[in-house]
Amino acid sequence: MKQDIEEFLSRRMPLPGVAAWGARLADRTVLSHCYSDWFSTEQVEQTLGRLALSADGLGYHGIQPVRLCWVFEHARIHLALRGDGVYLALFTENRPGVTNARLEGVLDEFARLAAG
Amino acid sequence: MSGETVKRKSFLFVDDDAGFLTGVQELFSEMSGGRWDVSAAGNHAQALAMLAKFRVDVVVLDIGMPVMDGIQFLNLLGRTYPNQRVVMLSGLATEENRKTCLESGAALFLEKPVTPDGFAAVFAALDALAGARSQGGFRGMMRRVGLPEVLQMECLGRKSSVLEVFTGKVRGRIVICDGAIVHAESGSLRGEVALYGLLALRGGEFNLLPFAEPPLRTIQGQWESLLMEAARLTDEGQRLIEPEESGTPETKTVEPGMSDFAALPGGEVRIEEVVLCSGAGEVLHEWESKSLELRLRLLEQIEQQAAELSGMASVGRFDRLEILTPEGRIVCQVQPDRRLFVRSGGTPTLPA
Repeated sequence: MKQDIEEFLSRRMPLPGVAAWGARLADRTVLSHCYSDWFSTEQVEQTLGRLALSADGLGYHGIQPVRLCWVFEHARIHLALRGDGVYLALFTENRPGVTNARLEGVLDEFARLAAG
Repeated sequence: MSGETVKRKSFLFVDDDAGFLTGVQELFSEMSGGRWDVSAAGNHAQALAMLAKFRVDVVVLDIGMPVMDGIQFLNLLGRTYPNQRVVMLSGLATEENRKTCLESGAALFLEKPVTPDGFAAVFAALDALAGARSQGGFRGMMRRVGLPEVLQMECLGRKSSVLEVFTGKVRGRIVICDGAIVHAESGSLRGEVALYGLLALRGGEFNLLPFAEPPLRTIQGQWESLLMEAARLTDEGQRLIEPEESGTPETKTVEPGMSDFAALPGGEVRIEEVVLCSGAGEVLHEWESKSLELRLRLLEQIEQQAAELSGMASVGRFDRLEILTPEGRIVCQVQPDRRLFVRSGGTPTLPA
């Protein structure tokens, strides 16, 4: 699984505006990569853990998310959630044109990526 | 010899009751001592034909008329002759009719008289209204000129005025003092939320009235920033308090750029639930909420989580969380002055 994810992302990244990515596997193993010094690996992994907790907590509110996008002044953090417990976070700049079809495509493809 | 000329007052009564028309023409002409010119029309078509030939100080409309009732005709007059004073005179003097007529621009709503005292009271009211000086300011429609342009003009000129805005179901006002936007209200909303809601309206009418101090100044900040923020919200398709206007679920076609998720090839989107709170958490608007308490708790949690995330990385201030679910989409916006929860359903394309 770890190899699958890394291979999947290495073939598609970097994309314009994407500063970092982080993935959390079903066994809570965390993978990450930063393309600039905007975010450190530690920051990405810590943030990913918080994002995952928040996403899981939405179930209490009767919300079953498949995708989340936290929009901040300077950054957008996209989180795609798969049914097999694998989460992918993409850290992007918040500027026009960054959220594009290629980014959407990666998130879609990730969701379709077969488990195992 | 007196040099004074008493200004004649002109009225057009529109009523499908021929007997009533004849009666008021004779009675009011007599009561005015010849100072009133009273015309009569039996329906809206006759009235429009007469107004095309001559103007009157006041049009007096009955509500219950065939083909086009008085309320519809009032709206038509508002568009055709925006400065025309109109008084509604009706035997159907319900509170709902009164509210509708006054919100649609009627100057007065009077009950149709049946007694001599009643006729005298109506005469006095009409006489006073026709003799009153026109209120300063302009009245116009805003299909070709946007409210932001009008506001910009007022602010650049450092003017003081009240911009009254109304559509069929929304009525609001924006108060400008010495070129600064100091107050806005729309329905139960006050402050910036009301301003943004009004600026997001896609059509309607406005009156530019002389300045009157509002009970409370609810807006601070530079008008340029406020208009830019309104434009940003509008651009992002966040005309999210509009369910208050329509009162029914709204169907919109998703447009590219509306949001991250809207960029997905989706179909039609239907707004299904809205909760809007002030920055202090006071519920300002709630529509079709499944559980208000749960929604408020969710917004609180998101605010806390966003603060934690902001502390972990240099991402700037939080704006909103967008959530895609198999059923649709949710937007939770947390700003210093407002918290907003909007759930929409429809046919977003989801990952397989």
